[in-house]
Amino acid sequence: MVLKYIVSRLAMFFISIFVASTVIFFLPRLTGQNPLEEKFYQEAQRGGYLEDVDEIVAAFEEQYGFDKPLYQQYFTFMVNLTRFDLGRSIFSWPKTVNQLLGETIIWTLALSLLTGVIAFVIGTIMGALMEWKRNNSLLMVSFFPFMIWAAVPYFIFGLVLLTVFSFAWPVLPGYGGYQTGVVGWPNWSELDFLVSVVKHGTLPALSIILVSLAGWAMGMRGMMVTTKGEDYMLLAEAKGLPGRVQFYRYAVRNSTLPQLTGLALQLGLIVSGLLLVEVVFAYPGVGGMLYSAIRISDHAIIQGTVFVLAFGTALATLILDMIYPLIDPRIKYGAT
Amino acid sequence: MDSAIQPDPSATPTTDATEVGAPQTSSIYQERILPTLRYLRRNRLMVLGLTILGALALMIILSYLFYRQTDLYGEEQGVDGLSTALSVPARIKPSWNPWGEFPLGTDEQGRDILAHLTVGTPLTLRIGLLAAAIGIGAGMILAFISAYAGGWIDAIIRVLVDSLIPIPGLVILIIIATALTPGKGLNVDQLALAIAVLAWPGPARVIRSQVLVMRERGYVQMARMSGTGSLGIIFKEMMPNLAPYILASYVAAVTGAILATIGIETLGLGDIDAPTLGAMLYWIIELGALLKGQWWWLLSPIFVIVLLFVGLFMISAGLDEVANPRLRRRV
Repeated sequence: MVLKYIVSRLAMFFISIFVASTVIFFLPRLTGQNPLEEKFYQEAQRGGYLEDVDEIVAAFEEQYGFDKPLYQQYFTFMVNLTRFDLGRSIFSWPKTVNQLLGETIIWTLALSLLTGVIAFVIGTIMGALMEWKRNNSLLMVSFFPFMIWAAVPYFIFGLVLLTVFSFAWPVLPGYGGYQTGVVGWPNWSELDFLVSVVKHGTLPALSIILVSLAGWAMGMRGMMVTTKGEDYMLLAEAKGLPGRVQFYRYAVRNSTLPQLTGLALQLGLIVSGLLLVEVVFAYPGVGGMLYSAIRISDHAIIQGTVFVLAFGTALATLILDMIYPLIDPRIKYGAT
Repeated sequence: MDSAIQPDPSATPTTDATEVGAPQTSSIYQERILPTLRYLRRNRLMVLGLTILGALALMIILSYLFYRQTDLYGEEQGVDGLSTALSVPARIKPSWNPWGEFPLGTDEQGRDILAHLTVGTPLTLRIGLLAAAIGIGAGMILAFISAYAGGWIDAIIRVLVDSLIPIPGLVILIIIATALTPGKGLNVDQLALAIAVLAWPGPARVIRSQVLVMRERGYVQMARMSGTGSLGIIFKEMMPNLAPYILASYVAAVTGAILATIGIETLGLGDIDAPTLGAMLYWIIELGALLKGQWWWLLSPIFVIVLLFVGLFMISAGLDEVANPRLRRRV
């Protein structure tokens, strides 16, 4: 039974990846655009004279395999994907997309994991407390702003933070991932550099944390209402367990599980939101790179990045789905 | 919906002053409207959400009807004329003076921001409503097919839905937009369609599970035993009971679609010349409005977007309560 669940869930994961990569391959090619030609004609326009553009394009087309029939291209594309070979950038030739991703993905991973964990933990506990201590006026008052926060997209809130803390009252930098203009940076062993990274990361991180924290808090509050009515809560109280034990081990533990389901379902939305936050703050992560690739129509980077994002999100969902039954003994593998 | 708007037996009749003057003869009023109003009094979130969106709509309508400016040639222009780029060319610098000529200021391109918002908010809403309607429609049809056909058809639809949900919609939209219209963005209707293509898996999953639950209910089996056909059961027995779920998924889908359009337009992949809210954000970022100190240009669209999302969120939370009575607040 367990094995059957794991196998079918893994199959689902591969179908996700397969659908995504097929869309990524066919959509741009079926519309008959030629990114290489576009690039070289752009260059020719910019630089004045460029000799034998057609021949150069043909040479590059051979490099990218565009001269081969479509099914053969598709096959090569898929085989390369299984080896995580995403090809070379068109504009930053001859850098590979993997190299470019390697430079940026660390920023995105750090930002998303850090903000995700902080927001989930604090939000869940705050939401639980909001329902648990109904006579605490501070928590009750925070309900309304939370409600509003939870509804606002990350990057809209980010724009507000940017206006307030970077322009109206300029205390924090709102552009980039670290202080630029110093030769030799990024240098992770230097303290000044680390300080500037933290400073630059504060606003993007805050715009994600505050919004998603509010979302988790609202969800948790709703769950706590149900949990508080359960028989085992009455039993815990009747046994005379201390309030803290009742709260953490009985109420929070049981209400947190649906939150994890919510997390698995919302990962796609969270990733989309993260990309836009990076764009707003010109953060040197994957979102920022994707944005500049869109600007200059570097299709190799766009397609590679989109694949990596789809892959990462599907993988994270898979992991959550796999560990969910381990955390919640009420859920059995394959009992869907 | 029937069970959701039953009159609350515990509500005391003396609290409602308006009831005294209510027409006693109108049975529709007593059976339908009055209980709905009573219920709404308890479902404060829904009322608040409706009020916020209503106020926004009122502002837009008033501005459509009464806001006029004279342009460069001394001709009077309504919001439509004022919202196009370079409508007030070079006449004035981007500026803000709430008591002056332009209540919300003007932007870098000489557009009147109030006019821009008046035209742009309905446009953005239209994308959201249209995309969500198509998405929910497709999702609903697939949900019914899946739940009724069973077997391998059900399996295929389920696998498709489950495998599409974990893929972030925005990145697929980026591929669609960059592939279909290289160099330019999608126009407003194309954008709605592109978003609709990605909007159906969520609703399909939710509605399918509701249909499966409902099919086993007593009243559906009763109808089946009395010889009602499948279509009759779907439309006469199930639809009225599914309505709150469908409405709740619709509002959620509208929120998602508006989020997607604003996101994709901010990236510059929408029609950057259309006066939508997302295109406005694109220009604000592209032209560095904040760096130039033009904070009023950002403030107004942000305000409208926040109102829009908060209103929709509250209605959605309120509808959840209708659909799932267990969430209902104790009086």
